[in-house]
Amino acid sequence: MVKKTFKIDGMECPNCAMRLESIEDRLDGIRDIEANYHKGLLVVEYDEKKVSDAVISEEVARLGYRVTGVAAR
Amino acid sequence: MPNLLIAFITGLTTGGLSCLAVQGGLLASSLAGQIEKDLQASANTPQRKRKRGALQPNRPHPQLALPIVLFLAAKLAAYTVLGYFLGLLGSVFQLTPLARAVLQFAIGIFMVGSALRMLNVHPIFRYFAFEPPAFLRKRIRRAAVNGTSYFTPLFLGFLTVLIPCGVTQAMMAVAISTADPLSGAALMFAFTLGTSPVFFAVAYFATRLGAKLEKNFMRFAAIVVLALGIVTIDTGLNLAGSPVSLTRAFNALLPQPAVAQSAPSSSAAEPPGVVSALDVLGSEDEQPAVATSDIALGEDVVTIEVKNYGYEPSRVKAKAGVPLRLRLVTNKTYSCSLALVIPALNFAQVLEPTGEVFIDIPPQKQGTRMPFACSMGMFTGDIVFE
Repeated sequence: MVKKTFKIDGMECPNCAMRLESIEDRLDGIRDIEANYHKGLLVVEYDEKKVSDAVISEEVARLGYRVTGVAAR
Repeated sequence: MPNLLIAFITGLTTGGLSCLAVQGGLLASSLAGQIEKDLQASANTPQRKRKRGALQPNRPHPQLALPIVLFLAAKLAAYTVLGYFLGLLGSVFQLTPLARAVLQFAIGIFMVGSALRMLNVHPIFRYFAFEPPAFLRKRIRRAAVNGTSYFTPLFLGFLTVLIPCGVTQAMMAVAISTADPLSGAALMFAFTLGTSPVFFAVAYFATRLGAKLEKNFMRFAAIVVLALGIVTIDTGLNLAGSPVSLTRAFNALLPQPAVAQSAPSSSAAEPPGVVSALDVLGSEDEQPAVATSDIALGEDVVTIEVKNYGYEPSRVKAKAGVPLRLRLVTNKTYSCSLALVIPALNFAQVLEPTGEVFIDIPPQKQGTRMPFACSMGMFTGDIVFE
């Protein structure tokens, strides 16, 4: 399990947080996910054997947002 | 009844947009369930239209009307119940003018902050938006996925009661001033009902406008909210009795015949007579919109007509150094000008729609300016002691 923080660009309303968190329902291997509209962050705890930050970033992009940085926690 | 009509119209005009700015997030969250479902459905369909980002944040969906109606119905119910309790509260306790001023001021700042957030001025303004806590978001999402999605808009509609917008809070203050639970409930019902069409229209059509048009619309809404926010801050200033406010500056720019006509002190030769309510009632008919002044036992008397659109004259001159008897005349007045506040005296009273009230003001020093305003801080005036 790893925990990473994705810096997200393009969150324009609190609702975006919920949209981003729905990634959990679509990708396998995500243990915990929490988006923060106020800070423009997405914190994901995931199983690196099943999913990677590249895949998560791709999913974020598919929802219409942009990952501008990833940091390990 | 006219009060209810005014409340409805206020909701329809200013209430809808400004509340949408504050509560729009909750409405969007409640619709997100439907949109999310739609997303999932489209993700599972074989022919995936992934070009130009088929999964746009605001994708048109034909089934949004019901969740919006549920959301609004729950909001209406919640605010009606709130109105009941505010009326009940008002029958026990009254908000002081200063408390109301502070409240207005805070609300105004919140509205300006929300507008700046909507305009994307700086990420810091994101803190002006209510973000449902993570556990609630998870619950909402689960509810949507599991098909029990009617619960979500109902629940979130009810939650709007926790984040009333500026205009709503002003209306809540009026509900308190009714000092009657049923009147309070009716007032809040009328107002919230008034806000509903705007909510529905924006929520329903925003998802159909397309991203570009929606952005422009949000920008427009943000500017309206910004203006309303500034007005709200200004009303807070008026309520606090601040001699400097936009309303007062604006009034000063307007030609004011009222100033010239105000309160000529009667000659001392005039026979002193005790001003009784009956005397004044008799002479009330067809009085010009001029403050009259009679000397009664060394007292100065100044009349202000409380009209639907404000106070006439809005600037009155009174004698310094002698007690002042302020005579307030109402005649079929139903606007918020009835709720008069004189911050310097800590005076707040809701006048009868038709009638008159006397306020005794102790002697003031020469040059004193005593601002007064309606309880919402929209109509203002000054008494200048000379």
